[in-house]
Amino acid sequence: MIDIKNVHKHFGKLHVLKGINAHIAEKEVVVIIGPSGSGKSTLLRCINYLEEPTEGEIVVDGIPLTNQANINKVREEVGMVFQRFNLFPHKSVLENIILAPMTVRKTPKSEAIKIAQDLLVKVGLADKEHAYPEQLSGGQQQRVAIARALAMKPKIMLFDEPTSALDPEMVKEVLDVMKSLAHEGMTMVIVTHEMGFAREVGDRVLFMDEGRLVEEGSPEEIFTHAKEERTKSFLSKIL
Amino acid sequence: MNFDFDLIVRSFPLLLVGAGVTVQITAFSVSLGLLIGMFVGIARLSNTWIIKALAAVYVDFIRGTPLLVQIFLIYFALPIIVGQRIDPFIAAITACSINSGAYVAEIFRGGIQSIDKGQMEAGRSLGMTWGQTMRHIILPQAFKRIIPPLGNEFIAMMKDSSLVSVIGFEELTRRGQLIIARTYGSFEIWLSVAFIYLIMTFTISRLVDYLERRYKIDDRH
Repeated sequence: MIDIKNVHKHFGKLHVLKGINAHIAEKEVVVIIGPSGSGKSTLLRCINYLEEPTEGEIVVDGIPLTNQANINKVREEVGMVFQRFNLFPHKSVLENIILAPMTVRKTPKSEAIKIAQDLLVKVGLADKEHAYPEQLSGGQQQRVAIARALAMKPKIMLFDEPTSALDPEMVKEVLDVMKSLAHEGMTMVIVTHEMGFAREVGDRVLFMDEGRLVEEGSPEEIFTHAKEERTKSFLSKIL
Repeated sequence: MNFDFDLIVRSFPLLLVGAGVTVQITAFSVSLGLLIGMFVGIARLSNTWIIKALAAVYVDFIRGTPLLVQIFLIYFALPIIVGQRIDPFIAAITACSINSGAYVAEIFRGGIQSIDKGQMEAGRSLGMTWGQTMRHIILPQAFKRIIPPLGNEFIAMMKDSSLVSVIGFEELTRRGQLIIARTYGSFEIWLSVAFIYLIMTFTISRLVDYLERRYKIDDRH
């Protein structure tokens, strides 16, 4: 589903990704962990080309990310959830969700609203469709953001530290929504510091450090029998 | 000194006609300037260097030369190139809107840059094009923020429009000059002219305040 081949990324002199190779299969839930500055968010953002790799190739669902038309195509199929939600503050919850289906997919408004309302039920916010983002808690905003991404009926969902900006008591409500998505068979790539979640929901865990993919394996393998010294030392600090 | 109040009363209707013309030039120039400014402001943020460069040259040229000279260029110099006299009204509006456009462009650029870049990323990640995201997400938010500076630009334009009197266009200032030429009532007439400008600019600034307050209540940020 996603093929990442020898991807490098430089920000000026900073070499952030140093030749990443990875493959993510359909319906797989892949969790990327690692210390901050290890390049995990950058890698995630390369998948939908919010960051353009300096070198290497990324193919998503058979479409190589080569020109702008392809990039837009891929983005229609790949939903993204951000650390800071990035909801549109001037639009109501419902308007946030129906905008992209209406402008990109040309979905008729009535149908887009129907899809949005169903998604709001799914994320447990059926009563909030007319609220504005600032009237919602962080956890609620993030669930709206997930619904907004799902409204495009993506084949893949990317999560960039979706719970890092949340108060502790709101983390669970967001993770629960993500869990149910995973159970439905959504292909997901998640950058997170929630190790319990990674363990429970992840099919595979990638550990990154200093721009390299250091180790990968099942949650069991990574969390209890890590082979690499750097993985062990990272996990010992956070578990 | 003899203050001729009667002269003011007699001249007032004529001055008001001039004021009406001033409002017209200002309204046209600001509307066109807004349109020009929006596109140029966006162009200045373009990733295509040639578009960016052209926009920068335009803004620098306009901001680096006096409006009075720009008016002369369009009214006296341009006809030499096109081989045809230009109507003062057209010349006045053209000069003022091109001038206003440059300042408005900088206002738009600042407004757009003040919007969190996560907004553009969110729009793009949903598959929307750059243009769609600009139109539906960035510009509506930027527009609210730039209402106060746009109001200032509106007021500045109204006052600067007095410069088109030099090409004989009969707006408020020119009307004043003409009446003085006939009546020698310098003091009374300039006082009246100033007063009328003040009333007009004051009205605009109240209007801008109102818009700003309305959008503040509406600003879900």
